[in-house]
Amino acid sequence: MLRYLLSQSASLLITMLLVIAMVFFGMRLLPGDPAQIRAGLDATPQQVESTRRALGLDRPLAGQFVAYLGGLLQGDLGRSWRQNQPVTVIIASRLPVTLLLAGCAYLLSLLLGFGLGILAGSLPGSGWDRLVRGYTTVGLSFPEFWIAFLLILVFSVNLGWFPLLGYPADAPLPTRLMHLALPALTLALPRSAQLARLTRALLIGERTADYVRTARSKGLSVLAVTRHITVNTLPGTFPLAALELGGLLTGVIIAEQVFSLPGLGQLLLGAIGARDYAIVQGITLLAILVFTAVNWLADLAQAAADPRIRYS
Amino acid sequence: MQHPLISQYTLSLTLLCNACYNTCDSTLQPAQVYHSVSEPGSELTRRFRTEWRNARMKTITRSTVSLLASLLLLSAGAQELRAGVAAQPETLDPQATSATSSFQTTKSIYDTLVEVDRDGNIVPSLATGWEISADSLTWTFALNSGVAFHNGDIMTAEDVISTFERILDEDFASPKYAEFENIASVTAPDPHTVVFTLGEPTPALLSALASGWGAILPASLIENGHDFGNDPVGSGPFRFVQWVRDSHLTLERFDDYFRGPAGVDSLRLVFVSDSAIQLQGLITGQFHIIDLPAAADIPQIEAHPDLVTSTGPSGLVIVAALNGRHPPLDDVLVRQALNHAVDKEVIMEVAYGGGNPVGTFMEYGSPWLPADVAPYRYDPERARELLAEAGFASGLELRMLLPQLYPPHVLAGQIIQAQLAEVGVTARIEIVEWGVWLSEVYSDPYDFDITVVGHTGKLDPTGRLGGYDTDTNYVAFEDPELTALLHEAAVSPDWDHRASLYADALRILHDQAPWIYLGTPDNRVTHRAEVEGFWVTPLIDTWDFRSVSIN
Repeated sequence: MLRYLLSQSASLLITMLLVIAMVFFGMRLLPGDPAQIRAGLDATPQQVESTRRALGLDRPLAGQFVAYLGGLLQGDLGRSWRQNQPVTVIIASRLPVTLLLAGCAYLLSLLLGFGLGILAGSLPGSGWDRLVRGYTTVGLSFPEFWIAFLLILVFSVNLGWFPLLGYPADAPLPTRLMHLALPALTLALPRSAQLARLTRALLIGERTADYVRTARSKGLSVLAVTRHITVNTLPGTFPLAALELGGLLTGVIIAEQVFSLPGLGQLLLGAIGARDYAIVQGITLLAILVFTAVNWLADLAQAAADPRIRYS
Repeated sequence: MQHPLISQYTLSLTLLCNACYNTCDSTLQPAQVYHSVSEPGSELTRRFRTEWRNARMKTITRSTVSLLASLLLLSAGAQELRAGVAAQPETLDPQATSATSSFQTTKSIYDTLVEVDRDGNIVPSLATGWEISADSLTWTFALNSGVAFHNGDIMTAEDVISTFERILDEDFASPKYAEFENIASVTAPDPHTVVFTLGEPTPALLSALASGWGAILPASLIENGHDFGNDPVGSGPFRFVQWVRDSHLTLERFDDYFRGPAGVDSLRLVFVSDSAIQLQGLITGQFHIIDLPAAADIPQIEAHPDLVTSTGPSGLVIVAALNGRHPPLDDVLVRQALNHAVDKEVIMEVAYGGGNPVGTFMEYGSPWLPADVAPYRYDPERARELLAEAGFASGLELRMLLPQLYPPHVLAGQIIQAQLAEVGVTARIEIVEWGVWLSEVYSDPYDFDITVVGHTGKLDPTGRLGGYDTDTNYVAFEDPELTALLHEAAVSPDWDHRASLYADALRILHDQAPWIYLGTPDNRVTHRAEVEGFWVTPLIDTWDFRSVSIN
């Protein structure tokens, strides 16, 4: 196990280095010049040049990269030229919103996904099954921003149950959760649909297994058999569940945009547009870490849940 | 030194000034998704719009209840004015940006020596008056006494001097440096008098001093290297409280404001990039004012008893720029043909929600616009004739690059594409991100044939035209006569003479047509009926919240 973790850490380090290099040079290869964006169109070429110097972008790329890596080793992610603040401070201020939103969305998608998947998979062909299949089709085919608008119209404008937009960072938790309910639901719908689909398919596949027939024929109740099937199939959904958690990182961009939430997604989007390299690099680093950690956890959870899988 | 004094970034739907190169907000903005199809009005697009509108209509009546509830809430306690605005500032440092979205907010926080009144005249503000010497090289401003900054400092001539030293500091690299570079020195014979000595006559300086970037900052903070971008301190009617980027910005009334306290206790700007959500917020009473009503929603807003919308010309000129580097766009006949091929009325109506066509490079309603310059008549027959005369009877093909950040420009481009097809010109549309547009289209390598963009308003024509005295501009247009006119007008102290010089310059730009001139869109202020006193500064399109009250 220790060996497994060590080898994984080594590969994580290499992955991170590669991705950092890709983001670092990729962003700089993109057309679009931060010095020009900052200086604006009124600026003379000389002013753009002095802005470039002020941003440290006139130095050779390799030197910039080495300096960046050096900073990273000391926990310094650089400075945002747009906000004139350290990247770590900015990310730390945005993280809580995004974490809470992603957490709520993930919890919802697990509950809905597994719940509906088990319901449909246990009663294939029933009215419930058809209902769930309809749900998954809708959930998978509607774009997120469209779901967001529908939810806003129904629950916020018409019924007035939830606030329209925004996030009061200083309010008590229940108030904040009210603000996050619709964005979380927006993110959870398509993800739960995917999960429900897979869970249902796995359950239905497992129903025809030999042990199920044996268990039924020796008189075990439907409920008990369903429990066995479920326990045996659920680990198969973990990788997807983990992938979805990673995918939430991109999903939050849309949700934060529509609902005006000051999270990492909007920060990233703005930073890409303004070529605020340090922010883009910082968020990408964070995303790799989260993504890798989640996949590890999924591997470990699968191993724990399924005795046939062991890492060494 | 020549510099492209062009200001350029443009706007969003109707109160177009807000989005100004706020590069971020809209890349994934949902409302734009249906704009980014390159075939205008595809079936899917139409259906989506119709359904969305129907769905919205049904909700209006039901929201009345929640509206009443919010009205009751509003009448109690401290008065907070909430505005839903499309774009957040780039920074709150008035001298470190050229983004209209920044100046719209800094207007409430800082003051300038002089300012623009509701009729577009330049009137005293921090200065009580000014005198310009006979040779136009010495400008003397008398300052108000007892003007307090938000940090408690009292304004003196020292603050003015420090502010202009800051702008003229080359290391500070202010994007507005060029507008002040003729200032040779700023001195203070006494604490309430400031004297600007100029290297050459610069009539446009008065306009620069009245613009947001001429804001006066407290000298004590400038010396400390204070971060005005995140923590602005000025002498304006509101003082800074908090700015949560991508969410909201709050200001509170500054009770010691030298012209008397503002009408509301606090001001909250909420950044909402989607026009549909802005409108829902206005209807439900969450916002008092919004800046981005979609063109399609105007009838609904006008029919609503609690909403008021008023229009006036903005300071923008929307153009389809023609790249003179790329033949045959260097041929004036082709450029004139393209001007005749486009129906500006339709484009202003459909893409920009209403506006007035123009026939040259100056916004509609500008006092500088010569009366004899009319918009190019929409005349496809004439366009075909001119094209044939230029040797393109069989048509020609052009690449049209459109900035994705601004859906109205993209839509306008699609309409132009359809209209050009009528005269045998094939335009291939490519939609590019704003950062790419800035560096590839607007700058070297000028990789485009046609692009649609809006030029923001400037108080003085130098701001709009100054960069077109050499062909280093994005349309690569140069004309010796135009250059001579612009150079003379820039230093001529006689305003009537300037007017006639600029009129001639604008006539040349009309005849030579380096752009397809589209028009000036309406500035649309939309607010709840209980809000009074809100106005938008003419020409530079900044918001004025000083005299706003909620009844």
